[in-house]
Amino acid sequence: MFQSKFKSKKNEPMSNKPLRSEKRSDKWTLLLVAVGESRDRKAFAELFDHFAPLLKSFAQASKHEGWFPGLSEDLVQEVMIKVWQKAGGFNPEKASATTWIYTVARNCRIDMLRRKSNTQHLPLENEDFWHEPDEDTPVSLLRQARSEVKVQASLLDLPKEQDEILRKVYLEGKSHAEVSNELGLPLGTVKSRVRLALQKMQVLVAPEYRDELV
Amino acid sequence: MSKIKYHPDTMTLIEFSAGVLPPAVAICVAAHVHYCDQCRNELLRLDQVASQLMKSSGSTEISVDLFKRVEEAIDKIPEDTFNETFSPAEGNFPPIVSKLMQGNLQSQSWKKMSSSVEKATLKTGQSEYEVALHKICAGGKTPKHGHGGKEYTVVLKGSFSDEMSVYSEGDFLLREDGEEHQPTGAQNGECICLSALQAPIKLSNPFGFLMKPWLRINPI
Ligand SMILES: [Zn+2]
Repeated sequence: MFQSKFKSKKNEPMSNKPLRSEKRSDKWTLLLVAVGESRDRKAFAELFDHFAPLLKSFAQASKHEGWFPGLSEDLVQEVMIKVWQKAGGFNPEKASATTWIYTVARNCRIDMLRRKSNTQHLPLENEDFWHEPDEDTPVSLLRQARSEVKVQASLLDLPKEQDEILRKVYLEGKSHAEVSNELGLPLGTVKSRVRLALQKMQVLVAPEYRDELV
Repeated sequence: MSKIKYHPDTMTLIEFSAGVLPPAVAICVAAHVHYCDQCRNELLRLDQVASQLMKSSGSTEISVDLFKRVEEAIDKIPEDTFNETFSPAEGNFPPIVSKLMQGNLQSQSWKKMSSSVEKATLKTGQSEYEVALHKICAGGKTPKHGHGGKEYTVVLKGSFSDEMSVYSEGDFLLREDGEEHQPTGAQNGECICLSALQAPIKLSNPFGFLMKPWLRINPI
């Protein structure tokens, strides 16, 4: 459907660097593929046993206004139902099961909060913000720069003050401004710690340098 | 397609990936990401980091009957309810914009802002920003103007220019409160932009009717 834009991209010069596409084959990713391809209930049960407790911790970490611990298992339930429904669209070449399930959880958490708040009647679900490119997008364009193991290792190497802020943003769901208020740090300091952390993990590529890396 | 030159800054991408941006700003970022492979890749990497953070923050015991409840729920779901896609409202419009438009370009309620600019407000159900489509006719000049708040713009079709540069499909711009600009439509065709205008602090100005149309915004 959106093929045209990707076609035009093929004519653009690409650099000579080899593009790595990692075929993901960790246990959870294979199970999620099985759920998507053959509606495998046993695989789904195994995924549930592994992810449900992680998702509950993620739910409990939320510091969003209007969130309370009683919602945690509702979120786990909603996420796992979505996982069952959406597994057919999971593409292991783009992301691992862990990354994909995190994105489902983040979207569900925001939607639950919006449904609870009386002020926002967004005619959108958070999923609408996350449209993936088409199936026929060349995998080279979807290059994943780093392996999951490396990301995990580099997280452990982060200084405590950088790790703390990343967790507040991603797990507690706070904006940089909210983190700055809470920690009594200037906004600029919060932003530069986030930037340093992600640069150290080689996740961030400033727009002006991105071309060199493609 | 010309190459995208203007992207959201990295802090905006991070807040987008964490889901903490105001919805109207997130709509603009999502629209840009639809056109931009670079930002999409960056977001994939950020999601990867976030998922590892989730994994490393430990697990919490769940109720014994939770799996049963999930199974009961999925047994009730008809098999054909997943993977619906949204067809673009126009050309290569992002799905999120197409969904907000609920129709094509002609079916929007366009209001004349000046001889060369029309605006159609999109219903987003939040009141911090007015989200709208702007149509600048070929070669159309807009009056020099500023706004009472931040203004995000994403070019959806065609191109326009201002004092500083030319902006084309997919480009993402942020004008800060009070920055004046004078966009001009490209000569070779009309330009359609998505914009999110931050509501000024004083929303209910008693002299609102005197305000220039550029300052009069109406988030719906
Ligand atoms: Zn971009």
